[in-house]
Amino acid sequence: MSAIIEMLKVTKAYRGVPAVREVDFVLNRGEIHALLGENGAGKSTLTKIMAGVVEASSGRMLYRGVDVHYASPFEALSDGIAMVFQETSLVPSMTVAQNIYLGKENFLNRLRGIYISAQQFLQSLNFTVDPTAPVATLGAAKRQMVEIARAVHHKAEVIIFDEPTASLTPEEKRHFFALMKRLKKTGVSIVFISHALEEALAHADRITILRDGELVATGPTSEFDRDKVVRAMVGRALSNEIYNTKRPQSQIRKRGAKVLSVQDISMGNTVRNNSFSIFEKQITGVFGLIGSGRTETFKIIAGIYKRDFRRGGDIELDGKPVRYNVPTEAVRDRIIYVTEDRKLEGFFETMSIAENFYSGLLAAGLEKSSVINFQEMRALSSEWSKRLNVRAINDNARVIELSGGNQQKVVIGKALIQKPRLVIFDEPTRGVDVGAIAEIHQFINKLADEGLAVVVISSYLPEIMNLSDRILVCRQGRIVEEITPIEATEQKIMYAAVH
Amino acid sequence: MILDPILDLFRGKAVTIPPLDGALRPNTALEDADVITQCEAPDNLVSFAGKLFYSSGNKQFAVNSPKAVATFSSAITALAAASDGTLAVGLTAGRVEVCRKPVVSLGGFNCPVAMAFDGVDDLYICNGSTQHGPLSWATDLMQKNASGSLWHVSLATGERRCLANDLAFPYGLLIDKERIIVSESWRHRLVAIPRAGGALVPILSRIAGYPARLSPLKSGGYLLSLFAPRNRLIEFVLLEDDYRKAMLNGMDSRYWIAPALSASRSFLEPLQNGGVKTMGIHKPWSPSRSYGLVAELDDNFQPATSYHSRANGTRHGITSAIEQGNRIIASSKGGDVILSVTRNGEADLT
Repeated sequence: MSAIIEMLKVTKAYRGVPAVREVDFVLNRGEIHALLGENGAGKSTLTKIMAGVVEASSGRMLYRGVDVHYASPFEALSDGIAMVFQETSLVPSMTVAQNIYLGKENFLNRLRGIYISAQQFLQSLNFTVDPTAPVATLGAAKRQMVEIARAVHHKAEVIIFDEPTASLTPEEKRHFFALMKRLKKTGVSIVFISHALEEALAHADRITILRDGELVATGPTSEFDRDKVVRAMVGRALSNEIYNTKRPQSQIRKRGAKVLSVQDISMGNTVRNNSFSIFEKQITGVFGLIGSGRTETFKIIAGIYKRDFRRGGDIELDGKPVRYNVPTEAVRDRIIYVTEDRKLEGFFETMSIAENFYSGLLAAGLEKSSVINFQEMRALSSEWSKRLNVRAINDNARVIELSGGNQQKVVIGKALIQKPRLVIFDEPTRGVDVGAIAEIHQFINKLADEGLAVVVISSYLPEIMNLSDRILVCRQGRIVEEITPIEATEQKIMYAAVH
Repeated sequence: MILDPILDLFRGKAVTIPPLDGALRPNTALEDADVITQCEAPDNLVSFAGKLFYSSGNKQFAVNSPKAVATFSSAITALAAASDGTLAVGLTAGRVEVCRKPVVSLGGFNCPVAMAFDGVDDLYICNGSTQHGPLSWATDLMQKNASGSLWHVSLATGERRCLANDLAFPYGLLIDKERIIVSESWRHRLVAIPRAGGALVPILSRIAGYPARLSPLKSGGYLLSLFAPRNRLIEFVLLEDDYRKAMLNGMDSRYWIAPALSASRSFLEPLQNGGVKTMGIHKPWSPSRSYGLVAELDDNFQPATSYHSRANGTRHGITSAIEQGNRIIASSKGGDVILSVTRNGEADLT
C-alpha cells in the first residue's frame, strides 16, 4: 500500500511547550488508522496539522508524495483532507441540509432540492436525521452524524475522525463503523482517534500510539492487544486497575445511612415513576442506555430539570421532602451534579483554572468575603490542582487549553469545592484518557471511603462494574433492577437494560 | 421556594411508594427456605422453654409436631409467652386468655393482634381496631380506620391502662427498654410509645409494606415481618372514596383491590403479579397484592437486610418471624407453611 500522507519529524509547540515532538506518521491509501494516546498526548494536534487547523512549528508533511503546507482547513479540504471534530463545528441556526452543503453551494440554490438530496444522502449513510431540522434542535449524537455526513459529502480522500463515537448509541456506532468500512472500500483513508480501545482494536488496520507528544509505537493491529496498547499509552499496565470487574466481597463497601429517597418521580415520557434510594459511604452505579432517562432523573434531583408539576413524585433528603427549582438550592443542600457534557455545562472555558475553581466556591456560598479574594482564589486553586493532579502550565491557564482529562478534573474539583454530601458523576470519564481515568476512579473511590454518598452514571459497563458497590439499571425512564457487584455480569446488566 | 406550599395545593396528591431497594432489595431467600411444617394459615410464632409454638386456627401447635398443644373456643389471633412459661392467647371471640392458674380472661379486646409480656405480670396488648375483628382487617384498612390502641394490663392487680389511642392497626409489639415499639400497619411505620404513655415518636416511617409483628434478635437488632406489599393501585383506591364505598358494599371481600395474604387462588380475583405485561411493561393495574417479606432491622430500627418471596412466589403473607439459633423461623400465613431460613445466608448484605 502506498502512503497518502507522510509526516516527517513534525513538531508543534504552544508557548514554547511542545505538544507534538518530532513525530513520524504514515497514513496509507485505503486504510483505517487508529491514533491512540492519553489526553494531552498530542493526537488532536497531530491531526489538526494534517487538516490545516494549526501549523507545524517544524517538520514536513507529504500528501500524495508532494510537500504540502496548509494555512487553513479550507485549503486542506479543497485538497481532499477533511476533519470531523470532537466539538461539532456546525452552524446551529442552519438546518441539517444547509450544514451539509455549506461551502459547496451553487450560485443559486433551491432549498427544496438541497433537502431532497440531503435526505437521500443521509439515508445512504443509514443516518436517521431530519434534513430540515435546525442543528440547534439536535442532540449530541445527531450532530455528530451530521458532521460525519458533511465530511463524507465533501468526497474527501482522507477523513480524520476525532472521537467520533463518544456520543453515539451502540446502534449508531454499528452504523458508523459499517460506514467507515464502506468508505475504506472506496479508497478513502481514515484516521480515527478514540479512547475506546476495543473500537481501535476491532476496526483499525494499523495503530499508532503517542505519549507526551512523542511516537511510542506504530504497527498493524494484529501486533497489539489491550494490555500492550494501555502499556504503550501510559507507560504502565493499568488494565486491572481500571477494568477489574470482579471484586471480592471484602472490597465492596457496606451502605451507610439512607441519604436520598426518590419515590415515583416523573417527568413527561422521559422519567416515569422512578423510585430508588441512595446511601452514604458507598458508590451507587447507574447503568442505562442513552435515552433511558438516567441523566434526566439525576438532573431532577439536582434541581436542573423539574419533575411534573402534577403528581411528579417525592424526593426526600434525610427523610425530609425537597423540591429544587434551581440547582443553587440543591448545592446549598450539598447535592452536586457533575455533568456529562463538560464543555457546555461543566466550566467557563475562557476563564482560568483558578477562576473556575473559585466559581464553585461562589456557587455554594462558601466564599470567605463578599468581594472576590484573589489570594483565596490562588490558594484554593493550587490546593485543588495538586489534589487532583491537574496538569497545566499554571493556574492561570484557560480551561479550554487543557486536555479532556484535565478539564474533567477541573470540573470535578469545582464540584467538590462545594463540600457535597451527595455527588452525582455523570459519565465521569467520557472523552478522558486511560491515565486520567485511573486517577478519576481513585478519586471517586476516595470520596466514598470518606463517607460521601456517590452516584456514578455511566454507559460503559466495565466502569460501572469496577466502581460500584451497588448497581442500578435504568430502562425506559425508571430503575428496573438492582444488582450487587458480586452477582453482576455484563450480560446480566445489559439484559436488564434492554429487556 | 416560598410559593411551594401554595403550589402544592394544585400539584395533587402524589401516590408514592418507597422502593424495595438497598437493604430491602428483593431476593428469593424465603422462596428457597426450608419448610418446617405445612399447616393451614400459621400465624403468631412464640418461643418459650427452648421450644417454638405457633397458632393455626383455634389451635396452638409446637413446631415439628402435628399434634395440637391446646385448642381454644375461637380462632387464635395472637400469642405471647412470659419467662415463667405463662402463655397469653388472644382470641377472635374478643378476649385474651392468660393460661395460668386460675386462668385469667380479659374481655373488651375485640381485635387483639399482638401481645408481649414484660416480666411475668405485665402484659401489653395491641387492640388492632375497635370496629372490626382480626379477620376483617381488610375492611378496617379500606374504611381507613385508625381506632387501634395499646393497653397495659397488670396481671397482679388486674388494673388495665390505655397507653395509646387512635393507632392505625397496631399489629406488632416489642418491649424495648423504657419504651414500647408498635408497628402501625395502615400508616406503614413503627412508633415508640413511652411506658408511662405519652406522645408517639415515629422511629421508622414510610415502610414499603404493611408491617406486622416484631421480635428481638439476640445479637442486637430486630425482626419485622411484613404481611403485604404496598402498591400504587391500592394506594390509589384508598384515595377514591366513592369507588371504595361501592367496592365494600357490593363485592365479596376476597375480590377487593386490597392487600392480600396470598394470590391467584381464584380467577375472579383482580389480575395481579404482573399478570399483564405488554411491550415489556408490567401494567400498573395488575400489581401484586401479596408478597413475602421479613426485614432485619438494626439497633436503630433501620433495615439491615431482608428475606423475600417475590410476586411469582407462594410464601406470602408473613405475619410473624422469630430467631432460633442462627436461623429465622417465619410463618407464611398466605403460603400455609412455616419456614426456616439461614440468617444472613441467602440475603444480600451489601
